[in-house]
Amino acid sequence: MFNGIKGVLYRELNVYRKRAGKQLLATSLSPLLFLIAFGWGFGDRVMAEGLPYITFLIPGLITMSSLNQSYGIAQEINITRFYFHLFDEYLIAPVTHIEIVLGEILYGMFKGLLSTLLIFIYATLFKVQLILSPLFFIAILIHTFLFASLGTTMAMVVRDHGSQATVNTFVITPMVFLCGTFFSVDKLPYLFKSIVYLLPLTYSTKVIRASLTGGTVNPLYLSLMIIFAGLFFFSAYLAVKKVEA
Amino acid sequence: MREILQVKGLVKNFSKKTAVAGVDFTISEGEFVGLLGPNGAGKTTTIKMLTGLLKPTEGEVIYYGRDFFRHARESKRFIGVVHQYSNLDRDLTAYENLYLHCILHGIPKIERDSKIKEALEFAGLTEYEDKEVKTFSGGMKRRLIIVRALLHEPKILYLDEPTVGLDPQIRRSLWDLIVKINQIKSMAILLTTHYIEEAERLCQRVMIINKGRIISSGSPEQLKKGVGRYVLEIFYDDHIEERFFSTRDEALEELRKCTLSCRIREITLEDVFLKLTGRRINV
Repeated sequence: MFNGIKGVLYRELNVYRKRAGKQLLATSLSPLLFLIAFGWGFGDRVMAEGLPYITFLIPGLITMSSLNQSYGIAQEINITRFYFHLFDEYLIAPVTHIEIVLGEILYGMFKGLLSTLLIFIYATLFKVQLILSPLFFIAILIHTFLFASLGTTMAMVVRDHGSQATVNTFVITPMVFLCGTFFSVDKLPYLFKSIVYLLPLTYSTKVIRASLTGGTVNPLYLSLMIIFAGLFFFSAYLAVKKVEA
Repeated sequence: MREILQVKGLVKNFSKKTAVAGVDFTISEGEFVGLLGPNGAGKTTTIKMLTGLLKPTEGEVIYYGRDFFRHARESKRFIGVVHQYSNLDRDLTAYENLYLHCILHGIPKIERDSKIKEALEFAGLTEYEDKEVKTFSGGMKRRLIIVRALLHEPKILYLDEPTVGLDPQIRRSLWDLIVKINQIKSMAILLTTHYIEEAERLCQRVMIINKGRIISSGSPEQLKKGVGRYVLEIFYDDHIEERFFSTRDEALEELRKCTLSCRIREITLEDVFLKLTGRRINV
């Protein structure tokens, strides 16, 4: 049972273990730079949504960093698919497409959760008080599931490594910067606001920020996260089912 | 012998090209069959359809009487695949690559270690089990890929151009390994190749494929007999003409009439291909 999930996880985690040092360093560097630049730079002098900026920033960095890591599996799947042809090994094995998808998504979630843990360590070092509620754990699980599913879909849909980079440049990077990571989306002009409210990261950021800072979590936003997660999981399943070597 | 595989009217169209244009054949338990044809003849596309990596445009693939695409999960247990490219994980060790295969194919945990050790020994790679694949030579990778495909004891092994790009010495050592697999493990093998010598030496039955169609099939001897046993080569300035004869005497008689440089030799599968298609396999 679940040999596909176990196989994919065995491969991904073993490769991760061998590169753990480099991976962790890469994962930890960019949020640290943001924290130093914006967190220390603005410190307590600037308030956002009624919170000291650094307290506002940390949940944003958690969503950003975990998104980057969870979605980032797209690049890894791409390499295993186009360069190492290892994905063929999954496709010819007696496992279902759902198992392959779940294996990749669980790996993406693992990476996303690990980056979340790193930011919590930073939060402690920067003496930022966060509230760890059960809702936060539910939200971060949905958030990492959602973006790992999107990453899996994209890895299957693109035709080569270059197309993957294009998607990152035109979709992921703008989303990371516009969906409330560094500032409140409600301050955006109407047109931009309408666009960012179509993107899942906006809801993840709002829910995760509220759950970590004692704010009120809008159940509609949480529901939208679940709907996005469901849609992206389904798209990942269809994409893997359709893929041909 | 029981029939493992039945292929009926297999067609694969890509947007502008028909790669496989209606292929029919069967393979029985323990048979060693070759699919011989030039590059682009449809060999790899056929293998990909037989293993589920490509969906056919038309036709059926049946393993032990059951439709492959309707019973893919069960049918995949019967097949082992060696692609022409390396699809090992270069960051994993030889042992880890084989372990991954064991997990994916549902080999019970208790059996994995002994099966992997046995496979590594069979491939002569025991001392390299903890080395990462990226440090392996081309021949070592090929051997590892072949024994990996055997771990779950498939009924039929697909070898897609297994020796392409390897030097003659390594190619021969792989042939020995492949013959050993067919004989010791009594496993049916479908080998695709564009190397004439490989098909002649290894296969009991050879199917000649050209432009997506199987144009002839039989044992290497039968195929050659169908064309003649001897070839008279006549060397012109810009080309070589080949004439086929059933007996050496007939060929000699023609040779005597020849005013140009000529020679007689025994027929090969390359000649059969030339006679059937008007072109050579290896150009």
